[in-house]
Amino acid sequence: MNTPKKTFYEQEVERISREHGLPQHYYAYVRQSKAFMERHYGDKIELDKIASAAFMSRFHYIRVFQQVYGLTPRQYLRDLRIARAKELLKKGHSVTSVCFNVGYESLPTFSKVFKRGTGYSPKAYQDLNISNRE
Amino acid sequence: MIKIYVTSVPVQDQEKALQFYTEKLGFIKKTDVPVGEYRWLTLVSPNEQNGVELLLEPMAFTPAREYQKALKEAGIPWTSFMVDDLKKEYERLKALGVQFIMEPKEVGPTMIAVLDDTCGNNIQLAEML
Repeated sequence: MNTPKKTFYEQEVERISREHGLPQHYYAYVRQSKAFMERHYGDKIELDKIASAAFMSRFHYIRVFQQVYGLTPRQYLRDLRIARAKELLKKGHSVTSVCFNVGYESLPTFSKVFKRGTGYSPKAYQDLNISNRE
Repeated sequence: MIKIYVTSVPVQDQEKALQFYTEKLGFIKKTDVPVGEYRWLTLVSPNEQNGVELLLEPMAFTPAREYQKALKEAGIPWTSFMVDDLKKEYERLKALGVQFIMEPKEVGPTMIAVLDDTCGNNIQLAEML
């Protein structure tokens, strides 16, 4: 049976990946650290600990993570926490419980980060979504 | 504060596109307003119904048709949608008869696949690994 001819796009994807991709083990390590953040976003996460789990120095780890995902690990964790916070707020959880559930230790910091990321305070976001049920 | 509220895919037939994007891909219709012989027809993701809308835009402008055709022939996706589990989504869509022009493939930090939306476009599905 003939293998279907690859499109121009598929050939380019393969070429760029071959010629400009990072060594495979880098992807595996940073993916592992990303999965770690996804499991433990509700806990206090030390960057040094994740970096050493990825067998890299803190500086090298941040650089490689950013090359792979386009964001620093800290930015990734912040976005992950905001995304989880949005889900919990939509379900009607209180702002304080959401704050601690997603790994923030201070309510003012959580509110500030949430507002910067979404344009709304946690309470305003909840009111908007609860009055406009999906 | 400025924000992105709509993006679009050009489609040859809005009704046919509405069926494909809702019944196969799983989007939800958000707005449907008659505009002359066409419609302002937008979709949203089921879990982001207040989020960015996808406009199914009629191909009324001839040069746009040429551009769409060139991308289609080169296998270049018009746009890309994120899924949680690409292999699962690929199997689900295949079972619904959706044609893929690129099977799931790991590329750097992502897994991607490209499907034919039957309305003139290649659409990429991506999962962040």
